[in-house]
Amino acid sequence: MKKILIAALLVFSLLIIEAFTQGKKEGVLSIFEQPILITSAGQNAEVHLASVLAKRAELTSTLSQNATVKDLENIKTIVVVIGTSLKGLGAAGLDIAQEKERINLLVEEAHKKNIPLLLLHLGGEARRGKLSDEFINTFLPHAKMVIVVKSGNKDGLFNKICDKHDIHLIEVERTVNALEPFKQAFISKE
Amino acid sequence: MTKKGIFLQRKFAVVLISSLLLTSVFSCQRRQIKIPELPSDRHQPYNFIGQKGMVVAAHPLAAEAGLEILKKGGNAVDAAIATAFALNAAEPFASGIGGGGFMVIFLAEEKKVTIINFREKAPSQAFPELFVDKGKINEQWRRSHGLAVAVPGALAGWAYALRKYGTKELYDVMQRGIDIAEKGFAVSKTFSKINKDEYEKLLLTAGTTSCYLNEGFPYEPGDLFRNPELARTFRFISSKGVQEFYKGELARKIVSAVKDNGGIMTPEDLALYEPVEQCPLKGTYKDYTLYSIRPPGSGGLHIIQLLNIIENWPIRKWGHNSPSYIHHFSEALCFVFADRDHYLGDPDFISIPVIPLTSKQYAAQIVSKIKSNLMLGYYPFGKFNGKQNDKENTTHLCTMDKEGNIVSLSQSINDFFGSGIIPENTGFLLNNHMRDFSTDPNSPNAPRPNRRPVSSMGPLIMFKKEKPFLALGSPGGTRIFPSLTQIIINIIEFGMSLDEAIESPRFFNYSSRGKAQNISLESRIPQTTINSLEAIGHEVIIREAFDKYFGGAQGIMILQAKKIIHGGADSRRDGSGAGY
Repeated sequence: MKKILIAALLVFSLLIIEAFTQGKKEGVLSIFEQPILITSAGQNAEVHLASVLAKRAELTSTLSQNATVKDLENIKTIVVVIGTSLKGLGAAGLDIAQEKERINLLVEEAHKKNIPLLLLHLGGEARRGKLSDEFINTFLPHAKMVIVVKSGNKDGLFNKICDKHDIHLIEVERTVNALEPFKQAFISKE
Repeated sequence: MTKKGIFLQRKFAVVLISSLLLTSVFSCQRRQIKIPELPSDRHQPYNFIGQKGMVVAAHPLAAEAGLEILKKGGNAVDAAIATAFALNAAEPFASGIGGGGFMVIFLAEEKKVTIINFREKAPSQAFPELFVDKGKINEQWRRSHGLAVAVPGALAGWAYALRKYGTKELYDVMQRGIDIAEKGFAVSKTFSKINKDEYEKLLLTAGTTSCYLNEGFPYEPGDLFRNPELARTFRFISSKGVQEFYKGELARKIVSAVKDNGGIMTPEDLALYEPVEQCPLKGTYKDYTLYSIRPPGSGGLHIIQLLNIIENWPIRKWGHNSPSYIHHFSEALCFVFADRDHYLGDPDFISIPVIPLTSKQYAAQIVSKIKSNLMLGYYPFGKFNGKQNDKENTTHLCTMDKEGNIVSLSQSINDFFGSGIIPENTGFLLNNHMRDFSTDPNSPNAPRPNRRPVSSMGPLIMFKKEKPFLALGSPGGTRIFPSLTQIIINIIEFGMSLDEAIESPRFFNYSSRGKAQNISLESRIPQTTINSLEAIGHEVIIREAFDKYFGGAQGIMILQAKKIIHGGADSRRDGSGAGY
C-alpha cells in the first residue's frame, strides 16, 4: 500500500514538474549568478513581469528599461526580456534602430565581461510578429538559456534558433510557471 | 487513538480536502459564463444578421446582454445601457462606471436625433499647470495618479438616458452585468495582452491583490476572470440608487481613493456632476446626412471636416488605399489636426468656430492647398473672421430595436485600465481622463475647474434620404475619427459591406505644431504603395496586420431594400454582434 502511494506521489510530482517546465533540450541550466540586470529588448511591458519573477525568486536584481553598458558594473547576469512594443518605444522616445543599437552594445559589453545572457519571452503569441521576430533572430543566438511562454513558440522559431546555436530552451505554459526555472537557473551559485 | 487510527484519519482528511478542492474547481468552471462562438477566422469579414434588432459591442457577452433586453421588449436605449453595464464587467479595462462618454440616440417615431454628453469633468480645484512638477510635466501624474482622475459621468449619463428614453428599470438592465462579474468568463487574447501591457500601472495603483491581476500576474488567455466586488457594487447601486455613486457611500470611497493617490477631487465635485443633453452636430457627404456629437467630443466635427474635404476628390478613380488616396487623406488629416490643436476645448467655457470649421467652403480652401505629388510640410490652422459664439449648448456600442430606434454610444476610462485606481472593495476602475487635457497651460484645452477635456470620440448615425443607414463608432484615441472616416468611405465609395469596411487595412497621420508626422499603416497595405508614399516624401511606420492602435469599430448598417440589419464588429479587439 505504502509503495503504491509513494509511486503515485512520484508520478504526480513528475506530472507537476512537467506542467511547470517543459524543457525542450537539456532542462534548466543553473550557471547564472547574482546580481542581475533586467532590461527589455523592444521596450515591452513584460520586463516588469521579469522583475516581479526575480523578486518572487528572491534574486538580487535591478530593472532598467533603458540599460546601457554603464549599468553592467558589478552585474553577473543580464536578463533580457525580448519583444517589441511600438507603444513602449514611443514612450521611451526610441525607434527600432536606436533600441537595437542599445541592446547590441549591451550584449557586446556583456560578452567582453563574460556576463551570461538569460533571455525571456513572456508575451506569448501576442508578442510575436515582424518587429519582435527581428529582435529574437538578432539577440537570441547570444543567450545561454531562454525561457519562453509556450504560445509564443507555436511556430517553433525558438527551437530552430536554439538548436542551431546550442541554447537551452525552457518552454512554460504560463508566465507564472517561469518562476521555477528562473529560480533554478540561479541555484548553483547563490 | 492507535497509530493506524491516526494514519487513517489523516488519509481521510487529505482525501476530503482534495475532493473539496476538486469539486470547487469543477463547479467554478461549470458556473463561468460561456462565451458565444465566433467565426474561427476572426479577421474574415463577417456581418451579424438581424431583422428586428441588433446589438454590437466590444465583447460577445456584452452584445448578448443587449440582445436579451431587446428580446424582453426593451428598446434600443434599454439595450444600450444593459450592454454598457455588461461591458464594465466583460471588458473592464476599456470603460465602466468610473469613466464617461457620449451617446447619439435616434428616436424613430419622432424622427429626432439627440445627444447625451456624459463626459467627465475636471475637479473644481484643477488649474492649467496641474501636471507641472519641478518645472516639468510629470507623465506619471497624468497616467496613474489621483490627479489623473476626472469626475466620472458614465452612471449619471446611463441613468439619464434610461429615465428619459428607456422603458426598463436600472435593476433590469444591470442584471447581466452582475451575472458576468459574479460568475466570470474566460479571458481572451486581447484581454490578456492589454493586461500585460498595463502590468506596470496595475502593480503601482491597483496592487497585486486586485482582481485585475491573477495572483499578482497578468491573466493568460483562457484564465477565468471574475469580479465579485463589481457585482456587489452593481447590486448596491441597484438597491440604493445612482445617487449613492455621486453623494453616498460610493462617492466617499471614490474621493478617498483619489485623495489617497494624491488627487484633488472633492465630494462636491461628484455631487454636482450632471450629464447634458444636446442637439447633434450635422454634416453631409453627397446624399448622406451624418449626426454626431459636439465638442468637447471632437470626433464628429473632424469626421465632417474630413468628409467635406474628401468629397472634392475622385477617390474611386484613385482606388481604395492607393498611394494617391492615402497621400491626400494624410495631408487632409494634417490640416484637421492643426485646427484641433488650435480651437478645441470645452465649449461651455471657450468659443469654438464649429460652423466655419465644418463648412464646405473651408474644406474647399484646404483642398486647394493640397498637392498631388508633394507633401506640403507645413499645415496652419484655419483662420476665420472673428470668433463665433457657439452657444447651441453644445456635445461605442450600437443598438437598434424593432421600432427602428438606434443608439450609438462611445465611452471610456481613457487609457486601458484607466488610472488603475480602484475605490475600496468596489471592483471598478477610475478613469485617467485628466490626461486628455493639454499640457500646454495656454491651450484652450488646458485643465481648468469643472471643464470637460477634449475627446476624440465620434459616435455617429448616418442617414440616406432621411432613412437611417449606418450607426458607427470606435475607440482608438486620435485614430478614432480618421478610422471612422475610412470606414464610411469604404462603404459609400468602395462598395464594401459593413464588416469588410471595418476589417479593411487602415492608416493614420497627424500634424503637431504645423509639422506632419509619420504615416502609420497596417502591414497589409502593399509594399509598392509604401514605396510610392515614401517617394512623395512621407515617412512610414508599419504596424501589425490588424492593429488595435487603429481602434476597434462597431457598427450597424440598415439595408432598407432587403429589410435586413447588418452588425459589424472589429476583430482588432473582441468585437461581436447579436441580432434577431
